[in-house]
Amino acid sequence: MSNEKEEQKDGLSRRLFLKRSVQVAAALPIAGAVAEAATPAPAPSAPTKPKMKYLFAERAACTGCRACEYACSQFHEKGVTRPALSRIHIRRYKGIVDVPNICWHCEDAPCIKSCPTTPKAIRKVKETNAIEFIDNKTCLGAKCNKCIEACPPKYLRRNPDTGWPLFCDLCGGDPECVKACNKMAEGELAPTLITKQSGGGVNLTYREVTADEAAESLIQNFYFPNNEGDRR
Amino acid sequence: MAAPKGCYFGKLLDVDLSSGKITTKTLEEKICHDYLGGIGLGAYLLYKELPAKTDPLSPQNMLCVLTGPLNGTACPACRLNVSFKSPLTGIYGHTQVGGPMGNELKWSGWDGIIFRGKAPKPVYLHIYDDKVELRDAGKLWGKDTYTTDEMLKEELQDLDIKTLVIGPAGENGVLFSAMIVDRFRAAARSGGGAVMGSKNLKAIAVHGTKAVPLLNIDAFNNAAKQAAEAARTQEAWDGIKRMGTAVLIENANYNSGTLVTKNYQTSWFPDVGRIGAEEAYRTFWKRNVSCPNCPVHCMKVGVLRNTGFDGLIAEGPEYETGTLFGSNLAVSDFDFMMKAVEYCDAMGMDTISAGVVCGYAMELVERGLLNVEKDLDGIELRWGNGEAVLKALEAIAFRKGKAGAFLGMGTKRMGEKLGGDAPKYAMQVKGQEMAAHEPRGFKGRGVSYALGPRGGCHHEGNDPQGQALWTMIGSAVMCTFIGGVPFNKAKINPQVVCDMLNAGAGWNWTPDVYWTTAKRLITLQRCFNIREAGISRKDDRLPDRFKEPLPEGPKKGQSFSEEDTKKMQDAYYAYYGWDDNGIPTAETLQKLGLDYAVADVVKK
Repeated sequence: MSNEKEEQKDGLSRRLFLKRSVQVAAALPIAGAVAEAATPAPAPSAPTKPKMKYLFAERAACTGCRACEYACSQFHEKGVTRPALSRIHIRRYKGIVDVPNICWHCEDAPCIKSCPTTPKAIRKVKETNAIEFIDNKTCLGAKCNKCIEACPPKYLRRNPDTGWPLFCDLCGGDPECVKACNKMAEGELAPTLITKQSGGGVNLTYREVTADEAAESLIQNFYFPNNEGDRR
Repeated sequence: MAAPKGCYFGKLLDVDLSSGKITTKTLEEKICHDYLGGIGLGAYLLYKELPAKTDPLSPQNMLCVLTGPLNGTACPACRLNVSFKSPLTGIYGHTQVGGPMGNELKWSGWDGIIFRGKAPKPVYLHIYDDKVELRDAGKLWGKDTYTTDEMLKEELQDLDIKTLVIGPAGENGVLFSAMIVDRFRAAARSGGGAVMGSKNLKAIAVHGTKAVPLLNIDAFNNAAKQAAEAARTQEAWDGIKRMGTAVLIENANYNSGTLVTKNYQTSWFPDVGRIGAEEAYRTFWKRNVSCPNCPVHCMKVGVLRNTGFDGLIAEGPEYETGTLFGSNLAVSDFDFMMKAVEYCDAMGMDTISAGVVCGYAMELVERGLLNVEKDLDGIELRWGNGEAVLKALEAIAFRKGKAGAFLGMGTKRMGEKLGGDAPKYAMQVKGQEMAAHEPRGFKGRGVSYALGPRGGCHHEGNDPQGQALWTMIGSAVMCTFIGGVPFNKAKINPQVVCDMLNAGAGWNWTPDVYWTTAKRLITLQRCFNIREAGISRKDDRLPDRFKEPLPEGPKKGQSFSEEDTKKMQDAYYAYYGWDDNGIPTAETLQKLGLDYAVADVVKK
C-alpha cells in the first residue's frame, strides 16, 4: 500500500499518466475527452466528494438470473452480452444454490501487492475504490498467475481471448450489476447486490470464503442434507 | 447464398454417432430468415433430411438440439429447443427447456447440434467453444440425471459447464422420457429422452465463452430492454414470481374450474389446500431460482422435513406437476407428490405424461379393466395411493416387469393393448398425454390440445392466432412468460421480436412478416405430421370424455361438445388456409414458400 501512496504523491510517470488520460478519454464522450486530456491534473477543488464504494453480495438471496453478468459485460464491452467477460460471475452449485463471485475490493488488495511487474499492472483508484487494470503492456498475461493466486476468495478469472485477468472497477462508482440486480429483484424478491459508501469493513466479511466453500455452507444452511448422501 | 449477418453464427454441428465423425453444417441466411430457429428450424431440418416414415427409435432418426436467434443476447429468458420425430406420437416432436443450456450452447459458437446414427457404446458430447469431442460415457450410463451432471463436472474439471442429460428412463426407452438441464429443468414432452437413449447418447456438456454476433448492438439492446421491461412489469406474473406456477393450483380449483382431477373425471378437488402453493410456501420452499436474465424467477426449490422423505430436495410443485401427481391421482399428501416429482426429474421422465399414465391406470383398475395382480405386478394403483405411484414410477423408469413395460408405453398404446372400453379413458391427443388444464373449464385449452402440432400439449396456444404466436416464441426459443401469452400478445409481440431481429440480423420484419412466418412454421409441422402419420381432421379432436358435462366445481355443467370441436377446427383450418380435411392446400403451400411439401401432402 505504501508503494501505491508514494506513487500517487509523487505523481505517476509521464508515460503512465498519458496512458491513463487516454483511458479516461475512451470512456467519455468526445467533447469531454478533449477537455479531460487538456487538463493537466484532476482539479482538487471539484465539488464532487470522493465516492469510496464497496460491493457486497447477500448470497442467500441470489436466484442465479445472471442479469448482473449481462449488465457488466454490456457496460465494459460496448454493449456486447458475453458473460465470459463479466467481472462478476454467478455459479450454480448442484442446481440448488447460486453463488455470486464478486470482487470485495479489499483495503489491502493482495492482487496488487502480488503483481510482479514494475510499474504494477493493477492499481486501486482511491476515489472509487475500484481495482483497475491499467496496463495491458506490463501485464504478463497467461505467463503469470500471481494475482489470481493471491486473491483470497479466488475470484479472479481470465479474459478467454487475451489471458489478462478481469478486475472489477465498480463501473467508476455506480456499478451496473447492482442496478440490474435491484431491477430484477423488484417487488417480490430481495436484491443480492448492494453498493454503499465504504465503511465498517463489511466488504471484508466474506473475503476469505471461496465460492465452493460458500456453496457448501449455503446448501448446509438451506437444506441441511442428511447423511444418506448428497441427494437426500 | 449468404451467411447470416447477425443473431446467428451460421453453423450447426453435425454429429454422426455411428462413425463418430463430427462435421460443420452451414446455415444459410434464407433458412434462418424463413424458419427462424428452434421449432421452425427443427421442422425444416427433419422435413428435408429425415426419410419419410422413419422409425423414431431407429438410428436414422435425427435429434436436433437447436437454439434460436435471440439466445445468448440481451433478450431475457431464452431457452433451448430439441426437435426429433417423436417415439410417443409418431409425428413431429419438439420440446423446450429453460435453464442456462440454450445460451451456453449459443455462446460456444454453434447455433445447434444435429445427432444422427447410433453410437456403438454410450458416449457424451463435450463442447468447449470450437473444441468438440465425443467421450466415453460408460461410467455415466445408468446414473440418474443429477448424479450424471455432477460426475460430468467432476470428470471435465469444469464447474461452469452446462449439461443436457438423460436418466435411466431415457436409456431404457420409456416413451415419455425427458432430457434434463440443471437438475430440475426438463425438455420432457414427446419422448426426446428415448430418442437420445436409442442413440446411446448420455449427455451433452457445453461451456461457451463467445458472444453472439449482432449487426446493430445498441438498437438490439434497446429492443431487448423493452421485452424485459414488458415482462418485468407484467402484473399477471406477480403471483408467479412469489409462488411459481403453483399459484394456479388453487386458482384452478376455486376459480377457473380447470383443475384436472381423477384422470379428468372432474375439476374439483376438496383437498387442494394440501397440495397447493400455500402448503408449499409454508412447509417446503427455500429459494427462488431463475433462468438466465429472467425477471420472473418461477422456479422454487425446497426441502422436505419431518416426513418419510426427510431431506428430499426438489423443485416445484409447478402447476402441471403438482396437479398431475396431486389432484389427478387424488393424492392429497404433499410429500408423496413432491417425491414423485423429484423422482421423475432424477430418472428423466416427463412428469405430465407420467402423471396421466398413473391416473389412467388408476381409472382402469377402478373400472375393472386392469387387474392389479395380473397386469401391474401387484402395484396397487388406486386413487390416492401415493406409495403405489412411487412404485409404479420406479417400474416405469427401469422397465421392471410387466407393469413397467405396460405403463412405459404411454396411454394411447396402453389403451390399444387392452382394447374394449379402455381407449375411451386414455386422456391423450395424437398419442401425447394432455396437460393439467381441463378443457371443459377453459375451452381455449381444447384448441391447444386438439390442434397443437405435437399433440395434447398446453403450450401450443389457445386460439388459431395464439398458436401462431406460441410457435414463434418456440422458434425464437424464448420463454412464453417473456415472449407473451394470449392476453399480452399485443403488448410484447410481435413488434418487439421484430425489432430485435431487425436490429440483430439486419432483416426487415414487420408484424405481417411475423404472422406469415408463423403460418409457414405451423403449416410445415402439419405437412411433416401428414407425411409421417396421415394426420387430418379426424385426429384433431379431444377424447370423448369432454362431451360429458363437468360434474362439479366452479364450471359445473360445461362440456366440450361435438359442435365446439367442429367450430374450433373450422376456424383453425380457415386461419391457416388448409382444406376441409385439415390438409394444407397447394395454393397455401406455394404462398408460404413450402413448394417442396406439395408432392407429399396434396392428394392428386
